[in-house]
Amino acid sequence: MTLLLDLPTLWFLSARTMAVAGEDLPTVQEAATGLYAQAILGLTEEECRKAKDADHISNKTLIDCLAGVRALPREESEKLLTGVMMIAYADRSMKPLEVRWASMLASAIDVTPDIFQRCCVNARIIASMLRPSGGTA
Amino acid sequence: MSKNETNFQFLERFDKRVARLAKQAEKYVHTDPDSCMFKLRLMVETMAKKLTALQMRGDISKDLGAMLGALERSGTLPRRQADTMHAIRRDGNAAVHGSPTPVPTAMRRLSEAYKISGWFCKMMKRGTKIQLDVFDPPDPPVPIDQQTKQLHGQIDALEESIEQRRLATRESLLMFGPQEDVAEVTRRITEELKALDNVAAAAGEPTIDADFVALVMAMDLEQIEEDPRHGVDSRQAKREAEEQLEGIKIHLAQREKEFLAERTFLLEQRSNA
Repeated sequence: MTLLLDLPTLWFLSARTMAVAGEDLPTVQEAATGLYAQAILGLTEEECRKAKDADHISNKTLIDCLAGVRALPREESEKLLTGVMMIAYADRSMKPLEVRWASMLASAIDVTPDIFQRCCVNARIIASMLRPSGGTA
Repeated sequence: MSKNETNFQFLERFDKRVARLAKQAEKYVHTDPDSCMFKLRLMVETMAKKLTALQMRGDISKDLGAMLGALERSGTLPRRQADTMHAIRRDGNAAVHGSPTPVPTAMRRLSEAYKISGWFCKMMKRGTKIQLDVFDPPDPPVPIDQQTKQLHGQIDALEESIEQRRLATRESLLMFGPQEDVAEVTRRITEELKALDNVAAAAGEPTIDADFVALVMAMDLEQIEEDPRHGVDSRQAKREAEEQLEGIKIHLAQREKEFLAERTFLLEQRSNA
């Protein structure tokens, strides 16, 4: 049986998966992950820390993540997808596994192409605001 | 440590200016902790400029915070050293802007500056082996009384608690927890992703030409941003995101102000006693 995960755990699992798919993990991209969690998803510092506890995240698979994302309320799942696409845009290039992970998430959430495009546009705007991969911070 | 000795003699061989600033900071730590912080901040700034000149190209910001950020992004400055340099920058700025520095705070930063000095030397001369002794705190010029000792103990405890709160904030922002083995997590995720990719391919989904997808997405995005339907949403999203991000920044700045206020309050208690 797949256990449904909470939003903080789902966020960090899906964000780090996108970062890993991008094949490098710059420090500032890491920090952008937490800023997005607190500024846009509205998570508290405590929730963010707990989500990365071994109990919460270490034994969770990507299948668990996809199942959890599917069960999220629509607004939360779209925000999550937007944040994940922000991570993907951080280095201004897309790798095959990044495209695959975006596609799997989009399928799990069952978004229309129109909504997916809107998430991508918003992601790019936020990526440029947080400057995860260049410029002065 | 006696009056004429220094922890920073080894720096002379690598950078005379940084060594001089470190020694001056060491000299002032008991008698004028604010000046100690000025010197430490200048020392960090000098280090950052040297590293920037050595490791990076292009137009580099003159602002110390931005310079440290750029060094971090480039992978030159590891997280631990970055945290230390930012802490010295923050306390140095606070001292410049009139917030009094307690002796234990200056001593803590001096000891941290000692640790990053060893790392800095290795960066300046690759292959250098430096074995740092344990930091030897300079003795006060005159013995301190019991009441001052007690206050220093309180300030040290407060500094420790501030450090812990800053660390908690930092940990909340990062992608991985402090106890996680990042290499192992990365390996596991990559393995799972590749397995899922194979499943998708076996199910008949097309093989992804990432460069082509990226190009199409970029072209699409340009068009979508100009589309009034999405343009309106995007502008609204930007406004909301900016407000939310600003809220977090204000919250973090407020926390730093509260830390300084707690420190000043303790010092004022002493002055009023």
